[in-house]
Amino acid sequence: MNIAVCICQVPDSASAVAVIDGALDMTRAAWVMNPYDEFAVEEAILLRDRFPGSTVTALGTSPESGKDLLQKALAMGADRAFDVRSFSPLQDPFQTAWVLAEALRNLYGEALPDLVLCGRESLDFQNASVPAMLAGMLGMVFTGPVSALRAEGEHLELERETEGGTELLVARLPLVISTEKGLNTPRKTGIRQVMEARKKPLEILQASQPPPPKVSLESVETVSKKKRCRFAATPEELAGMLHADGHFRHISGED
Amino acid sequence: MAYYLVFLEPRNGLVAGVSADVWHRVQEQLFSGDRVAGFVAGSLSSGALDVLQGSGTVHHALSARPAVPSDMELCRMLSELVRKEGCTDIFMAATAAGRRLAPAIAATLPASLLAGCTSAYPDEKVCRRYIHSGSVLAAYRPQSAIRIVLQGREHRRVTFSSLERPRCVAFQESPGILRDAAPLIRAIIATSSSEDISEAGIIVAGGRGMGDAGRFAMLEELANLLGGSVGASRSAVDEGWRPHSQQIGQTGKSVAPELYIACGISGAVQHLAGLASARTIVAINSDPYAPVFDVADYGIVGDVREVLPRLTDAVRDVLRKK
Repeated sequence: MNIAVCICQVPDSASAVAVIDGALDMTRAAWVMNPYDEFAVEEAILLRDRFPGSTVTALGTSPESGKDLLQKALAMGADRAFDVRSFSPLQDPFQTAWVLAEALRNLYGEALPDLVLCGRESLDFQNASVPAMLAGMLGMVFTGPVSALRAEGEHLELERETEGGTELLVARLPLVISTEKGLNTPRKTGIRQVMEARKKPLEILQASQPPPPKVSLESVETVSKKKRCRFAATPEELAGMLHADGHFRHISGED
Repeated sequence: MAYYLVFLEPRNGLVAGVSADVWHRVQEQLFSGDRVAGFVAGSLSSGALDVLQGSGTVHHALSARPAVPSDMELCRMLSELVRKEGCTDIFMAATAAGRRLAPAIAATLPASLLAGCTSAYPDEKVCRRYIHSGSVLAAYRPQSAIRIVLQGREHRRVTFSSLERPRCVAFQESPGILRDAAPLIRAIIATSSSEDISEAGIIVAGGRGMGDAGRFAMLEELANLLGGSVGASRSAVDEGWRPHSQQIGQTGKSVAPELYIACGISGAVQHLAGLASARTIVAINSDPYAPVFDVADYGIVGDVREVLPRLTDAVRDVLRKK
């Protein structure tokens, strides 16, 4: 089975992100693998180990320290990695998906991978758009976010959460899947795995200039959500305050 | 002049309530010359479209097969309709299906995808949304001639009413090519509707301070009394006290209730990221310096295990007097 995993980096803490002169300042940020992508890498490795002859290829699109990101994927167990570089920073999910689709076509040709795994969303912008856009561009079937996966040959049994409960799906490869928390427990990597990862192939893949972004970031501002908290001395006083201010008004009706 | 297309999601043979809300929100914002169309696919109960008020045409794709069309078929049908009709703005409820479908259509048309806007696009020409765990508010401007807007709960408060009813045009869906490739839904393990926190108007959520899984019964009691749902912080979910479907915050769900009661939740930035659209926040915590009090409208310092039963009794009392 040919498995591709698309990963990215996010700041390890949102508190390191600042706005200076109307632009995002990320200089204080430390970069880590997007937590949802860890589930994708882990699942790829589990599948590879179950199906002999499979290969896991990791593709990263992070401009900051893409090499560290891909080294981590290799340390977790990916077989090879590609640092997908673009001429200018990718500006929206459409550009990111476009660059990834091009990279996958270049690597796999018309055959395309059997399975493409992506995290549900990146924790910095939380658009949750790249996986389905990528599938659309590749002409592959998309499903997600998937919280359980059982593989039986060409068929996959999947679970995804929806409004009414958990949907149990049966799907056939090839597929693009986005991964949800709970799918697996991503492995920790030790010094031995990190050393071994350095022997694995990590190449740079130059992307063409993508089409213009479909959405542009016009301005940013920091927000303070600080409110003046009114403290109640007793639970009875709190209930009275909430009632007096009309917060129980809608109860027994809709909402 | 805008030409809106509203994606109407069928649920149990009816139009999903959240989709009807989006439809009426769109009706509410029409300027003269604007037009509206709806799209719904699959079999519906007779009279299912009667809930829709206002002007426009609803395109109903009938299928020879009983099954619900796959995402790929829906994407193809919607894209074709948009091109044929010349729609400028596609509105969808931010449901599980909407979140899968919107980026697929955005890639196909292509179109600008706007999701999670705090301002009601298109009243403003940009979509303002939180990024980086709610610490930064960003303004995004769509660049395509076609926009897709995923609307969350916060934009569906509607009071629209009209005597007008949309016209319905049914058409036979043309057979797709990739039918066999689509994932088949074999079963749905249902949860009760009160557990769907992303649609809840009132949420009572518990964190590490609850101490164990059993004490969440106290939250359920208060939630039942208020007609709300129970949520949980990441640490409560990681402890195995509650399922991940109830987790609120960065690696869980974003919620938009009128009233959010945080019990034994310290208020880590990752948790608060899921609360950006909550209207009123009540915090109960034993630590007076817990960050949750910084974002709360009401607070009480104390052990949730002692405060909650008394609060529930007191709420019952005031509701009875009402």
